[in-house]
Amino acid sequence: MTRPGFVLEVDDRTPPLLVHEGLGFRLEDFPIGTRVVYPPEPVPAVPDVDEAIRDALHHPVDSEPLPALLKPGMRLTIAFDDLSLPLPPMRAPDIRGRIIEQVLELAARAGVDDVELVAANALHRRMTAAEIRHIVGERVFRSFWPQGALYNFDAEDRANLAHLGTTEKGEDVEISKRAAESDLLVYVNVNLVAMDGGHKSVGIGLASYRSLRHHHNARTMVHSRSFMDHKHSAMHHSAWRMGAVVKEHVKVFQIETTVDNTVFPKPYEFLMKREWEWSVKDQAAALGMRRGLALMPQKLRHRTFHDLRAAYNLTGINAGEVEAVHHRTLRNVHRQQRVEVDGQSDVLVLGIPYLGPYNVNSRMNPILATCMGLGYYFNSYLGRPVVRQGGVAILYHPLDEGFNTLHHPSYVDFYEEVLAESTDPMVVGEKFEQQFATDPWYIHLYRTSHAYHGVHPFYMWYWAAHGMDHLGDVIWVGGDPKAAGRMGFRTATTLRDALEMASSTVGSSPSITYLHNPPHLLADVR
Amino acid sequence: MGFLQDTIADVRQVKRGWRWGHRSQVPRSAEPFVPPSSPNVYPNDWSRTPAAAAVRELAQKAALEPLFRSQVRARAEGVDVLDRLTGPVIFAANHASHLDTPLILLSLPDEWRRRTAVAAAADYFFDTWWRAVGSSLLFNTLPIDRRGGSLSTTPGDVLADGWSLVIFPEGTRSRDGWMGSFRLGAAFLAVEHGVPVVPVAHRGTFAAMPRGAGWPGRGRRTLRVRFGDPLVPGEDESVRDFARRVRAGVAQLLDEDATSWYAALRRAASGTTPDPAGPEVAEWRRVWESTQPPEAEPRRAWG
Repeated sequence: MTRPGFVLEVDDRTPPLLVHEGLGFRLEDFPIGTRVVYPPEPVPAVPDVDEAIRDALHHPVDSEPLPALLKPGMRLTIAFDDLSLPLPPMRAPDIRGRIIEQVLELAARAGVDDVELVAANALHRRMTAAEIRHIVGERVFRSFWPQGALYNFDAEDRANLAHLGTTEKGEDVEISKRAAESDLLVYVNVNLVAMDGGHKSVGIGLASYRSLRHHHNARTMVHSRSFMDHKHSAMHHSAWRMGAVVKEHVKVFQIETTVDNTVFPKPYEFLMKREWEWSVKDQAAALGMRRGLALMPQKLRHRTFHDLRAAYNLTGINAGEVEAVHHRTLRNVHRQQRVEVDGQSDVLVLGIPYLGPYNVNSRMNPILATCMGLGYYFNSYLGRPVVRQGGVAILYHPLDEGFNTLHHPSYVDFYEEVLAESTDPMVVGEKFEQQFATDPWYIHLYRTSHAYHGVHPFYMWYWAAHGMDHLGDVIWVGGDPKAAGRMGFRTATTLRDALEMASSTVGSSPSITYLHNPPHLLADVR
Repeated sequence: MGFLQDTIADVRQVKRGWRWGHRSQVPRSAEPFVPPSSPNVYPNDWSRTPAAAAVRELAQKAALEPLFRSQVRARAEGVDVLDRLTGPVIFAANHASHLDTPLILLSLPDEWRRRTAVAAAADYFFDTWWRAVGSSLLFNTLPIDRRGGSLSTTPGDVLADGWSLVIFPEGTRSRDGWMGSFRLGAAFLAVEHGVPVVPVAHRGTFAAMPRGAGWPGRGRRTLRVRFGDPLVPGEDESVRDFARRVRAGVAQLLDEDATSWYAALRRAASGTTPDPAGPEVAEWRRVWESTQPPEAEPRRAWG
């Protein structure tokens, strides 16, 4: 039986609650009366994954079956989500690989020779061969990688971009030329959270900076309330307008999948259990892990967490026309993540875990930690934010991982130079974005190394723009004061200190809500 | 803080948070979301074999009794009623503390004690193997399902085998020391198997070790237990009526213990026995009154 998500009210019977903080966690005694939002337990999985994939391809929504769309001599492009999804990475075999294999079997049967596979990484870093192999599986990798028919999308390869036109609001639509000129573009997605998928897949995943700048900016993000609710998200409205333009040029067969929320494999399941249901074994595991992590050097702690592979189960797969498919996908996502929350509170508490979309096999630098907290988690609401306008966010993260210079070179300069000038997303965007987006060295690293695009740190900062605009104060518990100070935030050692500091903004007895994630949850605030 | 201090702090936090040594608790707001626990009852038929009885005899006489007497002063009255009986019987007692069971068992004559089992909540005493083994060996407990489920060995089987049974018809320990309503189980068994019920009333156990306490309070408090005349169900008497009579029997014994045999008898005859459910006053006053110790024994200077 799957138990729904619910809101706990901390009372004298409540044990300490688990709060993630980077490469570790702490057990926190919350004040009596604190509301704690727990996500639903894993919803039932699809009994036979291969059969479900087959069924989706043969009986798509508002589209002809895939076999009917495949013709000899056609150009077929298969695009797929990159390693930013799902989080943590999925235990092999990845669902995308299983779907791509079936699509390719149908294509082979139909006599399609011209097939290319492209990772829809937009301005994310190029994935390594091993990372791509993990996603698509060994068979697909061996058949296409050596021939150069399986590759990362390059948003700076001017010769291989196609400008499809502009939307009615004058937004450029520029995507991968190969995708745009294909007879059929099959997109394989993992819809981990509600912001993913839909027209965001092709319209953003295969787009260049020229296209992305229209919605990836502070102004749009402040008006995306939230970006986890595509009907009320200015970013998604823009992506949907662009999707209409894409639709005029290329036939897209969208395949969207949803997974449950078993994010922590054995022996770390206690991290997903409700604390008062911890067995003696769970308590021992928590104690042992905390003390073990305290003894480990940073490198080993990093490995301990980043080697985790989630044992996700498929909860749904839909294929066919983009919007019709996405509508069904969101229903599944909501089933797994939505929790009703009654009203806003003065203080929002969030534990930032070790992993976000942009530090897979990498480091959670202070900018990414901010993006996770004030971007993803803050925006994980439907209706209204969990915290009231002018309220306080208390975030847990040590902010001490530093920067990975291979993956995030432009972040270092953004942190050292841009944030030193201003932390206002609007100001930094207007003043510095162009310079970073067109810097030849960053472009070179993006194209030839494994670096995120020069403009990427700006996007992270924009992601947090709505949160920064909405909140009266942001306090990091256990955070490095220097890093937090650089970003315009304050730090506290303990929750008690943080609440003391927050009292100047929200008074001495504020209402507090703690979002108990991961696993991810979506607060439906009434 | 160093690693060691941090470790100590962590262990302390987990010990306190998860109530080591006590049953874990569910936050009130989470109670609707806790699934009903699966009936995982460890069978204990073995505990009524001669070998287990021998181990129990040793445990009760060599460990339980000296320990019990070192912590409390216990005095039993009316045990002589058992001389007139040949067994098996059902001992129906009020329930205020975990001390009730050793108090009653250790008050019984040895030959009765050796043939007496204690009906204990299956979901509380038989949910883990070690609790099942421990309580069976020490108290000769028998799992009964207070939620109405079915078990492999029923109390009826045990009665039929000639064992007497201690049953607490309230089904759970009192929260304020006063007596709650009686369930029908004891009366039903008595009617069904034609076994007499011996009402048992005791005072002082709530004050000595109330619900939530893990050990008797300091100072060797006085406990008193009183056995009443056996009650036999009438031929046409319904289970419900008989249960009411059993409860009245216990109430009368409590009255007798607080006053005197004759006064209690008079009050019972005129229907003015004090309600053992206690006065309808604020909770603290109920607790206050129920924790008044029975008048202490005059301490002897020597001998």
